[in-house]
Amino acid sequence: SAADKFVWKVQSHWPGSSSSYTDSLERIKRIIEEGSDGRMELKLYEAGALFKAKQTFDAVSRGILEMGTISPAYAQDKMTLAGIASGLPFAFRNVWEAAYFHQGLGFEKMLREEAAQYGVYWATDKVYPTEMVVKKPINSWDDFSSLKIRSSGALQKFLTEAGAAASYVPGSELYPALDSGVVDGAHWGAAQGAYSMGLYEVAKYHVKPALNIAGTDVIIVSQKALDKLPKDLQDLVKQTLEEEFWFRTNEYQYKERLTLAKAIKEDGVKVNTMPKEVQDRLVKTAQKMWAEEGERSDRAKKALDMLKGYLTDLGYL
Amino acid sequence: MSIEALTLLFFGALLFFLVLGLPLTFVLGGVSVVFLYFTWGFDSFFMVASQIWSTMESFTLVAIPLFVYMAMILERTGVANDLYRMMHLWWGGVRGGLAIGTLGICALFAAMCGISGAAVVAMGTIALPSMLERGYDKNMALGCINTGGGWGILIPPSILMILYSLITGVSVGKMFAAGILPGILLMVLTTAYIIIRCYFQPHLAPALPPEERATWPEKFRALRAVILPIAIVVMVLGSIIAGITTPTEAAAVGVFGALISAAVYRRFTWALLHDAAIRTFKLTGMIMWILFAAHAFSAAYQSMGAQELIEGLMQMIPGGPWGIVLSMMLIVFLLAMVLDPVGIMLITLPVFIPIVESLGFDPIWFGILFVINMEIGYMTPPFGFNLFYLKGVVPPSITMQDIYKSIIPFVLVQVVGMGIIMVFPDIATYLPELFF
Amino acid sequence: MLTAFMNGVTRLNDLVGRWVSLLVFAMFVCLLLEVGFRYLLNSPTVWTNELTQMLFGVYAIMSGGYIMAHRGHVNVDLLYSHLGPRTQACVDIFTSSMFFIFTLALFYFGYEMASESVASFETTYSAWNPPIWPVKVAIPLGTGLLILQGVVKLLQDIAIALNLDYYKPEANTTGEHS
Ligand code: NA
Ligand code: NA
Repeated sequence: SAADKFVWKVQSHWPGSSSSYTDSLERIKRIIEEGSDGRMELKLYEAGALFKAKQTFDAVSRGILEMGTISPAYAQDKMTLAGIASGLPFAFRNVWEAAYFHQGLGFEKMLREEAAQYGVYWATDKVYPTEMVVKKPINSWDDFSSLKIRSSGALQKFLTEAGAAASYVPGSELYPALDSGVVDGAHWGAAQGAYSMGLYEVAKYHVKPALNIAGTDVIIVSQKALDKLPKDLQDLVKQTLEEEFWFRTNEYQYKERLTLAKAIKEDGVKVNTMPKEVQDRLVKTAQKMWAEEGERSDRAKKALDMLKGYLTDLGYL
Repeated sequence: MSIEALTLLFFGALLFFLVLGLPLTFVLGGVSVVFLYFTWGFDSFFMVASQIWSTMESFTLVAIPLFVYMAMILERTGVANDLYRMMHLWWGGVRGGLAIGTLGICALFAAMCGISGAAVVAMGTIALPSMLERGYDKNMALGCINTGGGWGILIPPSILMILYSLITGVSVGKMFAAGILPGILLMVLTTAYIIIRCYFQPHLAPALPPEERATWPEKFRALRAVILPIAIVVMVLGSIIAGITTPTEAAAVGVFGALISAAVYRRFTWALLHDAAIRTFKLTGMIMWILFAAHAFSAAYQSMGAQELIEGLMQMIPGGPWGIVLSMMLIVFLLAMVLDPVGIMLITLPVFIPIVESLGFDPIWFGILFVINMEIGYMTPPFGFNLFYLKGVVPPSITMQDIYKSIIPFVLVQVVGMGIIMVFPDIATYLPELFF
Repeated sequence: MLTAFMNGVTRLNDLVGRWVSLLVFAMFVCLLLEVGFRYLLNSPTVWTNELTQMLFGVYAIMSGGYIMAHRGHVNVDLLYSHLGPRTQACVDIFTSSMFFIFTLALFYFGYEMASESVASFETTYSAWNPPIWPVKVAIPLGTGLLILQGVVKLLQDIAIALNLDYYKPEANTTGEHS
């Protein structure tokens, strides 16, 4: 009967044109609605429709929203692990390393424990790289340090400390700022993000390697809403989110490559791999910054130690 | 309750309290809270506070107080008045010359600023008293400011176009390029309207009597009045185009220019600056409180299921591809009477764009129509933000009724412009295809 | 006593408005500094844009009461302006329900948001990472000032509606529409 039907409001932090809106959110909607035989319905809202990105965690925590998507950075004030979750610069070198850190070594479990204190069930949507696009290629340290880069949050601090001129420009002004040369470079996700913002029209160099690789998109569910479901539906939601991580991490990589190939072909974009000299100096600056994230809580310290041990095992430290 | 019934009640309550004379911001806010309570419960009020918080955090809105402050200083120092005196001397023989000059200034303002509120308020401050003083009909003066003030979202840069691109995935650069010719078209049409109307009804915008017309030396001396305004425009536009500033930062450059003007006019006094600051505070605050409540209002409407209503409406529409596009425009036109543009875009675009594309229309062309429609919505009675912003600056002798009446012919002209772009899509698509 | 309260609130809002209005200078200076640092010295700051944004938030939310005191919140006067002063007052008393519903809801949740923020000394976690709680505190503060001015308006309307003659309306029309 209608009384047994669960209707969830889901606030996205992606705009509708973002590939993740379709690939992540509509996928979850489809699987949950089909798997529940129509006993559950997910109503999706585009970025900003009901709550702005930074308030979605609060709304889910209060149980006003049943589900939402965020970036860990938007929950910084509550989650001491958010800094590590949204990516320490130059830590991982491959996406699979970050994926295994989350799911194999238990970082995801730590995140889930911390979020549970706020009545939130945390499920990382995928891990993926953050990469820059720039107007002129970086072929030397001087090229890098003369850049004006649009950045935000921890990466802005990192780029500034590394010697570039990083400033914050809101997303709505990013395109004109890059076009007119107010800034010479920017990061907005990686290839797909840059493509969706039209950045390749005005900045022709896609910089490798990634500034970081991390679980930058997260699905959050209100524990209150989850508890109201019968056991089989609870399992359905949790299982869907678990599969989501692996499927989307993989699919995202595929689409990154596809988008970059398209940008190379259609917009004449070139891949610019930073010279080793530049990379080495960036790694050195990055490692100095990691320590700060470990100071936020015992949990964060434990996570950082785990990360360092892992990177040592991989032969990077 | 069905979304159709809710919609009627929701907007009915809005109009009811509006007619009773309650200020707009409290009508929007109060109605949102009441409806949220009955559809979602007490906790959902958190959404109202949250929407207000995110509006407070919106960096691009910082341009509003700065551009308004610039205008206030220019008005108080007498720069604005000298500018209009100059225009009158030069175009004294042309009926409606000042109104046309005002449209030109509006277009420049639009090229400097990506939002519409600041331009309407600034032009209402500068242009309206100057035109009324020189015997212009108030309908003519109000109408042309309201129209020109709205071009800020059509002539690049434009925050709304960036948002359109984000929601639909079309290129920002192409949207910007596409806005230029339609912007010029609307300017030409509106100018033509003023010339023709004033030719037949000279009392609307009287020409300077021949005996008062200036001699050439006088005219050239008056030209000095444009040096400062032109310098400001060059500074602001130049700093955007040369990549020195973002559009928001450019507003600060405008204030800088206005301060220099004040110094040149020897009016650089604390009293003047503080007085201008207080008037700016009142006007910006008024706009911001309307936006606070408007954002809460459209969020409340979306939570009630606005998008399902649009989806339902789209399934009932007959009449082939053009019927569908026209119906979409009608829906947007109606929504623009009561919602803020951001809300309208979030509600309608996700439904419209897949349909538009599947019908084989160019989403850039559709975007331009959409933006013009939004700009018209800003100025259509009973509920258009430009109308309310203008009401905030006009002297008490001008009533809302005057403002409502002044708008009608100008809206028709804009609708004609939109029709022309519908029939000749090249006006919108030519430049983007040329540039990209 | 009541008159003293009413005049006091109006004067308070006036004072707050006169000072907060000056923030437009601060925003102007910040943005101009950023342009200078970035363009002339090629070293953009981490703090100017964010500080501007925070100042703007305070500037906007604190304006509510001042504007109310000066009757600056626009309304539609189509029907309203044709009513007599007593009828207007009665209508205003009725519609003030909407005013109070909105502002009290905003005050309640704004207060909650602010006290949560103060309790954790919340910062923005940006590259600059300044405290954000003072800006959040401005929400209940600004709304509170607005509510007080709304109470003054309600009392005035009641006085007019009941034809109490001690009421002098000049308190809220000070020097506007110049
Ligand atoms: Na513009
Ligand atoms: Na309208």
